[in-house]
Amino acid sequence: MVEAPPRGGLLFAASVIVSFSPPIVLDRVSKRYGSKTIIHGISFTVEKGEILGFLGPNGAGKTTSMRMISGYTTASSGRVTVAGYDMATQNEMAAKKIGYLPEHPPLYDVLDVSTYLRLVGKIKGVARAQMAAQLDRVIAACRLEAVVRREIYKLSKGYRQRVGLAQALLGEPEVLILDEPTAGLDPSQIQETREVIRAFGEQHAVLLSTHILSEVTLICQRVAIINHGRLLAIDSPAGLQAASEQSNSVTLEAGGPADELEKALLEIDGVRDVIVRPFPGREGLHRAECQVDAREGVEARIARAVAGRWDLYRLERQHPTLENIFLRYVGTTAKEREVA
Amino acid sequence: MNGLAAIYHKELLTYFRSPIAYFVVSVFLLGTGYFFLYNIFMTGIGTMDETFQNMGILLLTLVPVITMRLFSGEYSGRTMELLATLPLKPWQIVIGKYLGAATILFLMTAATAINLIPLYLYGNPETKTILSGYVGFLLLGLASLAIGQFFSALTENQIVAALITVPVLLAFWFVGHLQTFQTSFVLRDLFAYLSFALHFGDFIKGLVRSEAVAFYAIVSTIALTLNTSYLQWRR
Repeated sequence: MVEAPPRGGLLFAASVIVSFSPPIVLDRVSKRYGSKTIIHGISFTVEKGEILGFLGPNGAGKTTSMRMISGYTTASSGRVTVAGYDMATQNEMAAKKIGYLPEHPPLYDVLDVSTYLRLVGKIKGVARAQMAAQLDRVIAACRLEAVVRREIYKLSKGYRQRVGLAQALLGEPEVLILDEPTAGLDPSQIQETREVIRAFGEQHAVLLSTHILSEVTLICQRVAIINHGRLLAIDSPAGLQAASEQSNSVTLEAGGPADELEKALLEIDGVRDVIVRPFPGREGLHRAECQVDAREGVEARIARAVAGRWDLYRLERQHPTLENIFLRYVGTTAKEREVA
Repeated sequence: MNGLAAIYHKELLTYFRSPIAYFVVSVFLLGTGYFFLYNIFMTGIGTMDETFQNMGILLLTLVPVITMRLFSGEYSGRTMELLATLPLKPWQIVIGKYLGAATILFLMTAATAINLIPLYLYGNPETKTILSGYVGFLLLGLASLAIGQFFSALTENQIVAALITVPVLLAFWFVGHLQTFQTSFVLRDLFAYLSFALHFGDFIKGLVRSEAVAFYAIVSTIALTLNTSYLQWRR
């Protein structure tokens, strides 16, 4: 005998799907304004407990992507899902789960900080009994105690930014979308804001766009690089560095004639290209920059080949910084577009 | 409904923490007081008929000042991005703002009651006619606010929003005059039907016609629906 499914079985199944899908999912998302395509089929996810850094130059499509995720605008094609809700049709449900700080903090200048936050809390559905506790929490987290009663138009840029962050944190959102949250802050405020984001990111999903590359390395588990509306790479900062080391470089300083040094280096297995220049201020000394494979042992082979014939003063494998990686990705696409 | 109430509350705070509400109410009261005194002393008749007529025109020039910032201000202040991403339905934003603007209209209207004191002290006015005049004035105001609010949603520039609203409202007021130039009955009826002034005139005379009430309600509903649809389309 087959047992009838329990009542509410579909609802249960739907809630399971909602709770197990990553909080942020972009599936081949494109955005067009008229005939111009701003975002070209980007796909990525942000998991619970993860902070994803969104990197890209100005006009790369970061803000448009974040606006689609926050529900401010809809995707022309593809699917954006936040907390299990389709942003094309269920954005009002998803809005309860999202904390969003746009590029320009959305503040009502004539209101004081407390009134503004209370207003946002009310719209987010914070219960009256919890309102005071929630306000205290975000005011303390964003260090706004000193300006709680002050009108927003009287605040400095740093405080305005922090009030914007405070409104995003209200209502205990599952997902935080922050468009350059540390812009305009002084170094100590940047440090405090990073701590707030880091703490929030331990239990929630955070998508963070920034121009500060060190910020990404410090607080983000993964990095997405976007340019001209295309997702160029997405990986952990360490993963991007490892991938980039496929074309790593080795720099050495050695004596001996330049042409012979270059020839000897090019004969070594794993060395792809060599540039030899005279070392400034040292007669007979040269600096050689070798493009090498990622394989192990290239440095050792170079050391053996050079040290056996000439004096070797320094040999160093250079690990790419995130800045180098970012510039490489962005520079490559710019060149590709020029060629096209 | 929390969202709608919050938007309404925010609108009231915005009006009263900036000079707009005080400016509009003051100018309206000064204008109304002037017209009231002028009409009473020039005609010597203790009615509000002429004053209501003047109040109507004055209202149409002040409505754009009330409505121009409703959405344009949100766009230019970048706060629309907040409203559009909070758990709010577009109609809640539209109605919350509309009720905020309507509250200013009610305050303006209520404040003109000061003119009734000397009228009742020294004259013998018809209360029913005055009441119907006020009903008509409020309906005219509500329809005008809805139109102004819709135009405010179309542009980021508050001045542009006001500059579009003024001629549209004046066109609705004066369109009734065009019927005298028409030979076609259909056009004559259409222009008469669309006229804010002709419908308002009935109220001033003491006639609360269901057709006139329905007209102002339809105009308000159409404008608010267009406003809501536009917000949805903008996404």
